[in-house]
Amino acid sequence: MENKIVSNSKTIKKRATNNIFKGKIIYFIILSLFMLFILTPIFFMFITSMKMPLEIRMSGALFPKSGFTTLNWVRTFESVPIVKYIFNSVVVASISTFLVMIVALMASYSINRFGTGGPLLPMLILGTYIMPPIVVSLYIFSMIRILGLADNMIGLSMVHMLLNMPIAVWLIEGHIRRLPEEVERAAWVDGYSKFRTLFKIVLPMIKPGVISAAVICFLLSWSEFLFALILTYSPKSMTFPVGVSQFVGQHGVQFGQMSAGALVGIIPIYIVVFVFSSTMLKTITGAAVKR
Amino acid sequence: MKINIEKNTPTLMIVPIILMMLVVTITPLIYVFGISLTDSTIARAFQNFIGFANYKQAFQDNIFKQSIFNTLWFAFAVSAIEIFFGFTLAFIVIKIKSKGTAILLSTLSLLPLFTPPVATAMIWKLIYDPNSGLINHYMYKWGIFQRVVAFLGENNLAMPAIMFTDIWQWTPFCFLLCLSVFQLLPKEPYEAADVDGASPWQVFRRLTLPMVLPNVIIIFLFKFLIALKVFDLVYMLTYGGPGIRTQVTSFYIYRVVFKMFKTGYGGALSIIVLLTISVVAMLITTIHKKTLKGE
Repeated sequence: MENKIVSNSKTIKKRATNNIFKGKIIYFIILSLFMLFILTPIFFMFITSMKMPLEIRMSGALFPKSGFTTLNWVRTFESVPIVKYIFNSVVVASISTFLVMIVALMASYSINRFGTGGPLLPMLILGTYIMPPIVVSLYIFSMIRILGLADNMIGLSMVHMLLNMPIAVWLIEGHIRRLPEEVERAAWVDGYSKFRTLFKIVLPMIKPGVISAAVICFLLSWSEFLFALILTYSPKSMTFPVGVSQFVGQHGVQFGQMSAGALVGIIPIYIVVFVFSSTMLKTITGAAVKR
Repeated sequence: MKINIEKNTPTLMIVPIILMMLVVTITPLIYVFGISLTDSTIARAFQNFIGFANYKQAFQDNIFKQSIFNTLWFAFAVSAIEIFFGFTLAFIVIKIKSKGTAILLSTLSLLPLFTPPVATAMIWKLIYDPNSGLINHYMYKWGIFQRVVAFLGENNLAMPAIMFTDIWQWTPFCFLLCLSVFQLLPKEPYEAADVDGASPWQVFRRLTLPMVLPNVIIIFLFKFLIALKVFDLVYMLTYGGPGIRTQVTSFYIYRVVFKMFKTGYGGALSIIVLLTISVVAMLITTIHKKTLKGE
């Protein structure tokens, strides 16, 4: 009798573990599909950039029959000043990120610690983010032309600074919120001004967060398309997205060269993302989800 | 009168951001509204005051009406789908309790999120292509498609194709945020539920869902408002076609202002779009506040 109960409970346990095992397999399959969904398109673009031009025109196979070639990459670098585009993007993104970080750091500190601007200011900042950029493009285009900054990297970086400001405030505010106030109070007692406290005490403590926020703003400026399209029209100041968008023209698409061109801009981004991934994740989730 | 710098530091610190917000919000709106009352072109600003004629024209403009409908439909559909998948995936990752998996998937999720939208559009333009594309190649080979399909050229497939591209780019974002929402849940209620012998479904329905729902709704609204700005994908993938099937407001205003050079009319369209979006945003914030009170 007792034996039977024991064996019964054993089978129940076995069945339970079996079910858990089955459940885990389904979960595993779903998560693998998600990974494939993310990676296959990027992988396919990479493969396409290495296929023979003739085979690209005829088949979309994931594994080419006629082998690999660097022809597309060579042609891309020859036909388009892509290095110049990348250089322009780096310049624009660096200037705009540097400026936006200083402004956003001061603003988010002031809002979080002293409640400056009341509940209205954060709402207004959110509002500027919600507003579609196309609505103000008309005004910004005329202003940039009046200032003589059309087709100029300085002009574009100013605009990118304005665009990224709400996001930067948000990302940094998340880090300041989690910082205990005691240290700052001690600094004030020691005679530090509020300004000095921010840059000498607070900034070093949230440095990783500020760096990852800066990386995010840099990448957003790097990716920005609408204003880059409107405000730049020669290789002198064209950024990477606009430059590379010319591969998709009215007369059909050169897929091999387009893939190579796009990858030239994507691969550095992926390297940066992998280097900063853990702090970037903390910054994004910390800003979006209030604790 | 001397200003006390130390006392006013917090105010001084927000002066730059206030100035910047004036530059991006209030001044442009005055300018755009002003220009919308005129018959301006890109070469001659503020010529011929014509009152509200541009607005009258906008309300009779079928392309514009279609573009508003397309934008709202696009934003709603992609946000709902992305939240659904993001939520499900985050739930699974929490369920299997493996820290390594969570880190791996989060890191991979950053890739689509930070791929420039222009490059994303190129990736998918390549995948959708009838001759060089991945989908057509394998669907035809495995006999699922009887003929090659030009996704971006078909009336009924162009919009879903753009949506799918957006889903590739933004599902990881929703996944990341949902994951962090789950990770913040307190442990105690679950232990209590375990002691009480609640079924997994009961735990999910009565415990998890009420706790995560407010945050998930915020993520949805946030994504919805981002999706309303869609421009790059349409510009690169379909250029508004076939016909006006994928015409969205941002793209239409771009065409009117920077290709047809009708800044006066473009200004009127901008103001209408802005009002529409403000109304939608206010509507969803009030609904959101009401649901929060209802909980």
